[in-house]
Amino acid sequence: MSNKVMIVDDNEFIRAAVEFICQSEGLDLVSAASGEECLRHLESGFRGVILMDVMMPGRDGWETIREIVARDLYPGNLILMLTGMGEPDSRMDGLQEYVTDYLTKPFGPDLLTDALQYYLSLLSVETP
Amino acid sequence: MSSKNVVMIGVSTGGPSTLKELFNEIPPLNAAFVIVLHITPEMDYRIAQGLDASASMPVALARDGEFLKAGNVYLAPGGFHLKLDGNHRVSLCEGARVNYVQPSVDVAMLSLTRPIVGAVIGVILTGMGKDGAEGLRHVKRIGGTTLAQDQKSSVIYGMPKAALETGAVDFVLPPRGIAAKLIELLG
Repeated sequence: MSNKVMIVDDNEFIRAAVEFICQSEGLDLVSAASGEECLRHLESGFRGVILMDVMMPGRDGWETIREIVARDLYPGNLILMLTGMGEPDSRMDGLQEYVTDYLTKPFGPDLLTDALQYYLSLLSVETP
Repeated sequence: MSSKNVVMIGVSTGGPSTLKELFNEIPPLNAAFVIVLHITPEMDYRIAQGLDASASMPVALARDGEFLKAGNVYLAPGGFHLKLDGNHRVSLCEGARVNYVQPSVDVAMLSLTRPIVGAVIGVILTGMGKDGAEGLRHVKRIGGTTLAQDQKSSVIYGMPKAALETGAVDFVLPPRGIAAKLIELLG
C-alpha cells in the first residue's frame, strides 16, 4: 500500500502535529510550508495523499491546486483540504473533482489517521 | 416495488467516506443505485473499488450502453456526463461542464423520466456548490422521492442546502438515516 503523505501548511505546529501522527502510523511524510514547496515536491516525483491548507501566504491552497492541475501533476495524487473555516469557499468552484475530502482543524489524530489509511488504500488500487 | 426502481445519488467533496458510511448500512435492495460523484478519470476506478470492498452490493463504473440491474451500484466515470435512457440504460456523453463539473448531478437527474413502472429516488449528499438542486427538484416533479443529507453530518453543506432551498426535499437525514429510509422505501 502507498504510504506517502504530504502536509502543505504554513503553520509549523500543524506540520509538526501531522508529522507526529504520521510517524506513529509508519507513514512516509513530506513537509511543505508553502504552495511553491508543494509544487517542487510534486515536480520531484511525490505521489500520494496531499493534506492542503486553504489559507497560506503567497499562493493559497486553491491557487496551488489550480497550478497542480495546470502542470499535469495531479495524476497519482489525492487531495484533502485542511481548513479552520466552517463555510464552503466559492473559490473551490471548478476544483470539486480534485478535492476528495475536507478535514476541519483542529482535528484529532484518530480522524486524520482513519482518513489517511482509507485514502492511501484507494491510491493503492491498481487501475486496469 | 418493481425491479425497475432507481436510486440516484449526487455527491461531491467528502463523498468517498460518506458513501462508504451510507453503503455499509444498506443490504442488497431491489433497486439499481447510480452514484454521480464529482471525480476525475484518474480516481474513478479506485473510488469504485474502494466502495465495492465495503458495500453489500457490487459496485462498478457505469459503462456506456449498459442496462441497469437491481442490486447493483454504478459509479459515473470521470470526464463524462451520465444520463439514463428510459431510467434504466446508461448513456455517457462528453460536453461542456455543468455547474463547473463533469459528471454533473443535474445532468444525470434531469435525464430521469416519470416512471411507468418502479420508483425513482433522488439523494443529495455532502458537497460544495449547488449541483444537484435542479435535478432533485426534477425528481420530485416526476413523482420521485427526494432525500438530502443533514447539515450536521455533511462535510460541506453546500449541495444539500441548495437542494433543500428548492423546497423539493422530502426527507433531511444523516447517512444512517438515509440508509434506513431507503430500506423502508425499497425493502
